[in-house]
This record gives sequence, C-alpha cells and structure tokens, in this order.
Amino acid sequence: MNRVLDDVFGTIGRWVLFLGEAVGCVIRGHIRWGEVFRQVYELGLQSLLIVIAAAFASGAVLALQGQVMMERFGAREFIAQLVSLSLVRELGPIFTALVFSGKAGAGIAAELATMGVNNQLLAVRALGVDPVEFLIVPRMLACLMVLPALVVIAEIVGIFGGYVIAVTQTGIPGVYYLNQTFHSIGFVDFFGGFFKTFVFAFLIGGVCCFQGFFASGGALGVGHATTRAVALCYIGVIVINTILTKMILVFWGV
Amino acid sequence: MIRVSGLSKAFGAQQVLNSISFQVASGEVLAVMGPSGTGKSVLLLHLIGLLSPDQGEIEIDRARVDQLSEKNLLSFRRRMGYLFQDGALFDFMTVQENLAFPLREHTALGAVEVHARTTDFLRMVDLSGAQDKYPSEISGGMRKRAALARALILEPKVLLCDEPTSGLDPVRSRDISLLIRDLAKRMGCATVITTHDAVNAFRCADRLIMLDRGKIAAQGSESDLRSSPEPFVRAFLEDCPVAGEKKGATDAKR
Repeated sequence: MNRVLDDVFGTIGRWVLFLGEAVGCVIRGHIRWGEVFRQVYELGLQSLLIVIAAAFASGAVLALQGQVMMERFGAREFIAQLVSLSLVRELGPIFTALVFSGKAGAGIAAELATMGVNNQLLAVRALGVDPVEFLIVPRMLACLMVLPALVVIAEIVGIFGGYVIAVTQTGIPGVYYLNQTFHSIGFVDFFGGFFKTFVFAFLIGGVCCFQGFFASGGALGVGHATTRAVALCYIGVIVINTILTKMILVFWGV
Repeated sequence: MIRVSGLSKAFGAQQVLNSISFQVASGEVLAVMGPSGTGKSVLLLHLIGLLSPDQGEIEIDRARVDQLSEKNLLSFRRRMGYLFQDGALFDFMTVQENLAFPLREHTALGAVEVHARTTDFLRMVDLSGAQDKYPSEISGGMRKRAALARALILEPKVLLCDEPTSGLDPVRSRDISLLIRDLAKRMGCATVITTHDAVNAFRCADRLIMLDRGKIAAQGSESDLRSSPEPFVRAFLEDCPVAGEKKGATDAKR
C-alpha cells in the first residue's frame, strides 16, 4: 500500500515539476510559434470532423428527447432553450473535451512515446535543444488554442442539429427556434462553460504530454502510455467538470 | 580533447561502470569494445552529459561535463555530435530537414545557406537522392549515414558513435566504419565509437579499449589487444580476423 501511495504521489510530483518546466518556458518567452501553429493545424484538423459529427448528433438527440419530455409538460416550444442551454453550459465543453482527449490527446501521447522509445527525445537533447521547449510547450499551447475553438464550433453545430430536428420533426418555425436560442443564452451560460474548456485543455495537454514524454518499454510502452493518457484525461475531465460546475454555480449563482 | 578519470556509475545494485579512465586527442578515433550490456552506451551517455556519474571526472574541450548545469549542457552539446545506435532521426522530418535542424537551432544561416550546407553533407555521405525522403522510407544503412551527417553538420570537436554498425550487413558495416574514420580525420574530431563488432573497430580506430563488466580489461592498438593475456579479451577476439589496411571511405565503396 505504501509503495502504491509512493508511486502515485511520486508521479503527481513529477507531473507538477514537468508542467512547471513548461510554464517556465512560456513565462521566459521561449515559445516556438511556428511549431505552435503547426500543432494547432494538426490537432485541430485531427479532431474537427469527429467533433462536428458528435456535436450535431448531440444537438439532434437532445431535441428528439426534449420533444418527448417537453410535450409531457405542454412546453414543446421550449425545446430551443433546452438544447442551447444544455449544450452551452455543459454538454458542448465536456463532449468536445472527451472527443479531443481520445483523438488529439491520444495522438500527442503516442507521438511523444514513440519518439521516446526510438531515442528521438534523447536526440533532441543531444543536439543541444530543450525537448520541453521544442516539443511540449507547442503542444500544450496548441491544446489551449484548439479546444476552446472546437467547443465554440461544437456548440454552434449542436444548436444547428437541434434546429434541424425541431424544424423538421416538431414543426417549430425556424425563426422562432433561433430567436428563442439567442434570447436564452446569457453571459454566464456561455462563459461558465467556456471557462472550463481552458482547464480541460491544460489538463489534456499536460497529461498526454507527460505520459508520452516519460513512456518506456518499446511498442508495448507506447500502447500503455497512450491508453493511460486517454483514461486519465477522461477521468480528469469528468471529475474536474463536477468541481468546476459547483464552483461556477456558487460564485456566479445561476 | 576528452579526458575521463575514475568514472563510476551504478544503477541500483548493479555497478555498470567501474573507475574508467582514458583520454582521446583531437583527430583520434577510439573504439570502446565489449559484449552487449557491458556499459558502452552508458559511457557515451556520460560523455554527452545525458547521465551524471556517481564518481569521477569528465572533461571535454577544457570543460567539466559532469559539473555543467542542464542549461549549460544544452549549449555545450553544440560542440559535440552524437550518432545514436538506431540513428534517432526525427521521423516527422525529411532527411534534409533532419540535417537542417541543428543549423536552424544553433546558427544564423539563412534558408539558402542551410540548403547548400545540408546538400553538401548529404553528398558527403552519399545520400544525394534521398533528401526529400522520410526516415521510414530509407534503409537502415542510409538512416545511419543520414544520422552521421546530422551529427557532423555543426562541425563538432567531438564525435560520439553508439554501435554504428549494429543491424547492418558486413558491406554496409565496413562502409559506415570507414566513413566515420574518414570524416572524423577530415574534420579533426576526437571520436569515440562503442561497438561489439571487433573487425570494424580494428578497421576504423586508432586505439581501442575493451570493457568487461564495467572495467577496462585491455587497451591499446589492435596488436596490444591481440597479445593481451586476459582470457576475456582473448575469447572476445578469438574468431576475429586481422583487419585490413585502414582506407578512406571512398576507396572502400569502389
């Protein structure tokens, strides 16, 4: 038991130091913008289609289920509010973060782990270059840029998915649906959810880079590092979302 | 150029290096031989500062490598070239981009000059047609030659080669060994090669060291090693034919 606790706290300690090193690079201005934008392009492109598909389906399913539930209470015209508020406050950020973990996060962990087991990380240092500055900082910054953008796209697409169902299946006029949507989303609704995406992005970038960077043990090690990274991101996103939701409700009160 | 004195390193209870001492002058090629698992790669990782010794001193170009901070080591490594066992080329870059990487990191050369310099080095290692290929698209021998060119492109004072002939057929092994000797002599690099390939070690080295369980079992010229009374050295060299005359790489390829 003591050994397990030592391992857990040791790993957390190493993770914090690792993140500290990355943040230190950013504070000192050691940012390779070319590499950051290359990562933004790759991570964004990797996840965009799957995020759009997941978001459209989420919005559509919300509208379908919402139609059934709202009709029970005679409130069918509130489907737009149900879809938009659910997506903006909660489902958009969390679904997108989970999809991003499984696609881009896994890619980051696998790429770094493969570089590690093939000595490419040592080669970076042997060539006199700081691997944290060259490989980690760009990936973490790219996560912080890409995930919030994907969340906004997911929310728009999700609302559109709800719109399509509402207009075609329930007979709600399109203009009315959009009007209800725009009137229902307040500042706190949007930014309460949007703020969480930066925390998720930092978590996903940090966990996946750390797991990939310290992977060892050949192809098996790459596989373990990748699956561990994704599993930790899923657990982390879900747990942190609960805490953040409570904090937002306490501090913003709505 | 290189002075190692009383170098010792243990991993847990296993003593990997035990009071190793040697010197290498500019332009000299030293081969460190021994069976697998005897600490050869660990020795090289100490020389480039990727491992810290438990005891002993490592001095390269009048700097104490074992006392440099990680930040100073990064800039110090610009004076050193390291050829990894598997090449460790970055697989997300083409061969030419791999060669350009150290130049972009450590020199103020413009794109045209970088292109000209990398083209020259590719020609030098007989890889003129492979500049746009990715490492996964070329053979093991070509990867080694590309990695050698990358290690030498900053014209380092010290060249460290970890098992340069492992995984290559006899002809490619001879070619890469003679190429290393040829380039090291031409550039005046103090060169350390680790290998368990005695034939090619004799072929390319001026002086040799035989490691046995982390200790120097014998050192000197080929004839010194062949006349060593140590049973381990005699057994290691028993089936090793006398090496041919040391030639230039160009001659060897004809």
